[in-house]
Amino acid sequence: MFQNFRLAMAWVHTWFGLFLGFVLMVVFFFGSLSVFDREIDRWAIPESRFEPQPMPSFDEILKPVFEDMQPSRESVDQMRSRVDGPMPEHFDTPVRWGAYTTHRDPVLGLFAGYQVPNANNPDELVWGTRTIDPRTGESLPDDQLKIGSRFFYPLHYSLNLHWKDLGYWIVGLAALIMLVALVTGVIMHRKLFRELFTFRPKKSNQRSILDLHNLTGVVALPFHFMFAFTGLVIFAGIYFPVTHTQLEPLHDLHEVVESQETGLPHERSGVAAPIASVDAMVAEAQRRWAARDMAGDVGFLALQHVGDANGYVSIYRAGTDRIALTGEGIHFKASTGEVLREDPPPSTVERIDEFLTGLHLQHFRHWLLRWLYVLGGLTGCACIATGFLFFVEKRKRQHAKRGQIGSRVVDALAVTTVTGMLIATLGILIANRLLPVNLPARGDWEQYCFWGVWGLAMAHAFWRTAPVALGKLAPAWREQCWAIAVLAVVAVVLNWVTTGDHLLKTLSAGYWPVAGVDLFMLVSALVAVFTARRLQRRPRPQSADGSELSGEAAHA
Amino acid sequence: MPENVLLLAALLLSLIGLGWFALALDVHWKQACGKQARGVVSARGLRLSGGVALALALILCLQVDHPTMAALVWIMSLAGAALIVAFTLSWRPHWLALLAARPPRR
Repeated sequence: MFQNFRLAMAWVHTWFGLFLGFVLMVVFFFGSLSVFDREIDRWAIPESRFEPQPMPSFDEILKPVFEDMQPSRESVDQMRSRVDGPMPEHFDTPVRWGAYTTHRDPVLGLFAGYQVPNANNPDELVWGTRTIDPRTGESLPDDQLKIGSRFFYPLHYSLNLHWKDLGYWIVGLAALIMLVALVTGVIMHRKLFRELFTFRPKKSNQRSILDLHNLTGVVALPFHFMFAFTGLVIFAGIYFPVTHTQLEPLHDLHEVVESQETGLPHERSGVAAPIASVDAMVAEAQRRWAARDMAGDVGFLALQHVGDANGYVSIYRAGTDRIALTGEGIHFKASTGEVLREDPPPSTVERIDEFLTGLHLQHFRHWLLRWLYVLGGLTGCACIATGFLFFVEKRKRQHAKRGQIGSRVVDALAVTTVTGMLIATLGILIANRLLPVNLPARGDWEQYCFWGVWGLAMAHAFWRTAPVALGKLAPAWREQCWAIAVLAVVAVVLNWVTTGDHLLKTLSAGYWPVAGVDLFMLVSALVAVFTARRLQRRPRPQSADGSELSGEAAHA
Repeated sequence: MPENVLLLAALLLSLIGLGWFALALDVHWKQACGKQARGVVSARGLRLSGGVALALALILCLQVDHPTMAALVWIMSLAGAALIVAFTLSWRPHWLALLAARPPRR
């Protein structure tokens, strides 16, 4: 089929890269934003703009909140079809309570799972969540959307497409293709080391775009590879769901055997029992970590079989000082506070898994490394975007001659996923500042704005890429760059007008979560203006057939 | 020394190290220094000192953080440094002459 191996690889790289590149663009961009998801939450929810807090007292603050919680309406509605008989008005048997925080969270997220009477599968629970101010225990309104951690972050790994978990599968396929694209790209690229530092902006468009594609792909190659790979590792359980399909009986048996080995009860006993002081258990856990020379804060606190004699409390350490996502969990009997088990040191395989997972999920405290991750992610975006541009540049004149529309369609989709995505992102932030505070289901409206604005950007992209069909540059790129510049400034100004937090104030107070988001948007505006002005200049004369390209590019 | 200073030094060292690696290539030497002969600054010597600079950067990273974290900081700093070197070569190549101990002439 192909004359040689390299050509075959080029075909794979071009076509698989093109089709899944649109997904990868979304994954890379929102992955980059997710590095600062908690900070974006601060920007979006002005009530939560204060300093990060440690896990508060369970006995005084958390327990009353947990006792007041109930499963969410959506969770109950989803469960309805899998229950014999009506659903109860009030759920009285909490199975699990949990509170999770990081060194970047001012507010604290709580969750609770409840047993459902007469459920087809008695292990299936209904869930409720709550966000509180840990200083007072006061609840924040439920319908405030945490745009960073509840919208951008899930967009990164599921495209927020939950129907049959399709989003996870599309992202997984895209990650796999990313690995393929990296390997085939390295094979196609003949001068990996000799042209490592090469970017020639003064050569033809095709040549300089390809230079940029190679440069951004190669310099961050370890990052691209490790993140695509570890992303797949983290979701391996979804992609190989054997524990809940073929091997379900074995999985269930293993759970029982494991609970016998660890001494952590698998079932409720049916005998009610009160909860002893959890604060005392936290103090004991912290004493034991300190004794192991790993003094630290509590990151995750969970109660299992709440209110039962078999109930136990698990306390995990916040892993801020290393990459590996470890917990050093210590488990206590809930009714007495006696230590049931201390998690043993991980095996080598577990250690590798914890490292790979932690590398991707980044619970560590290291601002430089966080920013370097953003750089890696944006480099990936640049690599994918220049891939699209090269595809179009290489083919548009040919397509224009033959009257084909292929390169116009690709260019329109590229505009949609590159600049259109940025416009949609700014759109949701602007909606967040403009929608009335007491609008019911405000968070849903913010999401509709995001998709609506993206839809408009797509329509504009398809309309204003018409010149590509004539072999010219699409004005859509330039116009959307101007839109980004305007919207970014509008978002920053709206933050000032609606909350009073302007940059001078946040900077002088050193409140970086909000100042950082504002500054990042202003820098994006500058870059967008610069790009738009460059695109406005008369295009450089092109070599008609791209003859200055080496063989590598001619086949890409 | 405070950790930030060590990390900054590590970033600078990886930038200088990769700059030397770039100058070891004839194309980039000509971009930075024009027709000036390499003299004592041989390609091999540049590669060697580049390697030493990168190794020193790694050692500094290891001073600050747990080895698993230091390795990531180092690898990512190389990516950033490589981009800076490449863009310097595109728009201000003569600046790199400083790394070859030559005056930065246009």
